[in-house]
Amino acid sequence: MTAATAPAPASERTLATPSGFASDVLALTTRSIRALLREPESFIPALAIPLFFFVVQIGALGKIAGPAFGIKNYAAFQLPVAVLFASANTAGGNSLVLDIDGGYWDKLSLTPVRRPAMVIGTLLGEMFSVVSYSVLLTLLGLAMGVRYAGGELGGALGLLALTVLFGVGFASVSVAVALATGSVRATQTTFVIFFPLLFLTPGTLPRSLMQGWFKAAVSVNPITYVLEAGRAFIQETGVAFNVATVSKGFIAALAFCALTFSLTALAFRRRARMG
Amino acid sequence: MATAIQATKLVRRFEEVEAVRGVSLEVEEGEIFGFLGPNGAGKSTTVRMLTTLLEPTSGTGSVLGHDVVQEAATVRGLIGVALQEAGLDPKQTGRELLTLQARLYGLRGAVLAEQIHEVTELVGLSDAIDRRIKGYSGGMKRRLDLASALLHRPRVLFLDEPTTGLDPTSRTLIWDRVRELRQRYQTTVFLTTQYLEEADQLADQVAIIDRGQIVRQGTPAALKAEVGADVIDVAVDDRECGAARVTILEMQERGELPAGELRGTASGYTLFVPDGPSNVAVLLRGLDRAGITTGPISVSRPTLDDVFLAATGGRMASRAAEESSPDGGDQRRDRDSDGDRPGATTGAGTGAGTGAGTGTGRGSA
Repeated sequence: MTAATAPAPASERTLATPSGFASDVLALTTRSIRALLREPESFIPALAIPLFFFVVQIGALGKIAGPAFGIKNYAAFQLPVAVLFASANTAGGNSLVLDIDGGYWDKLSLTPVRRPAMVIGTLLGEMFSVVSYSVLLTLLGLAMGVRYAGGELGGALGLLALTVLFGVGFASVSVAVALATGSVRATQTTFVIFFPLLFLTPGTLPRSLMQGWFKAAVSVNPITYVLEAGRAFIQETGVAFNVATVSKGFIAALAFCALTFSLTALAFRRRARMG
Repeated sequence: MATAIQATKLVRRFEEVEAVRGVSLEVEEGEIFGFLGPNGAGKSTTVRMLTTLLEPTSGTGSVLGHDVVQEAATVRGLIGVALQEAGLDPKQTGRELLTLQARLYGLRGAVLAEQIHEVTELVGLSDAIDRRIKGYSGGMKRRLDLASALLHRPRVLFLDEPTTGLDPTSRTLIWDRVRELRQRYQTTVFLTTQYLEEADQLADQVAIIDRGQIVRQGTPAALKAEVGADVIDVAVDDRECGAARVTILEMQERGELPAGELRGTASGYTLFVPDGPSNVAVLLRGLDRAGITTGPISVSRPTLDDVFLAATGGRMASRAAEESSPDGGDQRRDRDSDGDRPGATTGAGTGAGTGAGTGTGRGSA
């Protein structure tokens, strides 16, 4: 629709027409992804750090994992950790808080854009990062002889779906902090919540070998179940590929997302009110 | 003519601070409205409320009859806004930024392409449009911001300090574009500025805001007429400034010169008297008799800064410095002052420095 087809004369109205929610989201997601691709300096460390841990863990424990933990392939056991680590390592709310801090958020807010599209566009950009990291690491796993369960493709796609869900949920935390505080520093330090969430898990050894408070803490952490479901999608990790394990993982990831999305929605309302 | 912008008793409080304290104004369609005031007077906060970015604490605002809170979405489609700090994404190219902006306004296909071409030409950025914004100068960013505000051909354009910090060339370009827009599309323009000259040059109507309240409103000419005096600027050598001051005051006492305020400037004195052209001759003869050598002299009509002074008892440009500057009775020089008068000379960019020295000289006549 253009001004020419509108009932009022051109001088009585502007060229603005309702753009549609999907169109807003598409335009903003395109921008997010373009920004990510233009900043490999933020993209590469996010992948390099999990890779480093992956290699170091395998080097340290790979040989004893068989006799000590009963795990045949420790690389397979560690791969989902690396994938989840990487997916939690996205820029998250960083680009958003820079927009807020720099005034671009205001500029976008002045257009008739649907408000939620501004946040969704950012999250979809993050999803793009998560998918890229996951695909790269999955391929790396394949090259290292890791085999996926449920027919190679099924397991790989299952792991990808789970990772995307978790990654977007995790990105949403820093998006919430960005919206609530508008502070670059606060948003960047959101990363610290990652430590309890990802280290209080069966990251190094299976839960069956844990004891005491550590086991209790690990068992209440939803990420534990996400990680175990991730392992279920891979062969020789000591975690069986069955409906119970996989669905627990997806339920935990969904619950995690529900929580972080709610926080984001609250923070978003607050920002909209503050202007 | 319909009303383009209306504000009724707008108030905005930020915790303890009341940034805007009951602003009411009305802007007719097709008008260029100058919203003038020093830094921190409440200009930007008012703009943010009228452009739907900030909810008023109380009071109402409307654009072309649409309430800025209740019908925010409608208002956003009608207005174009260039905010004070041009918030632009440095990672995009100019074209990408304009394209995204245009899409959010629902522009498509040929219309989108035409509009991007048109606004890019208008602000003179055609050569740089495919470069990343990261590399743009301050003036280029401001022009791109203006271009993006025009994409959907808004009926009401809000420009928040569009030329602050710009070089004279960019400033003149923006002034020309504002005039052109009004001529071509009858766009209503709401322009905030701390440059008196800018309001004088562009605005049909002016409102002066100080400490969150409008203190004067009217056409620039009417406001200046309120001051009711001409302005004589006379430059005097540093060493003779005391003598010149005494001489002028004596002449006023003897009735040779009419009573009127005398103020120190960076280069000499400013005298506010009726009938400037004939009194300037009297003044010169008097100074000559006293053996005082004078430098350049000018007679001018009052500026908006003089209006501001009359309304608030403080200079616009020296507002921020006022509290800290020592009250130096006879010491007429002020470090920060350049003493230019925008009304008296042609110089662009004089607004900021205008009469910054008055803190010391005011009230001495």
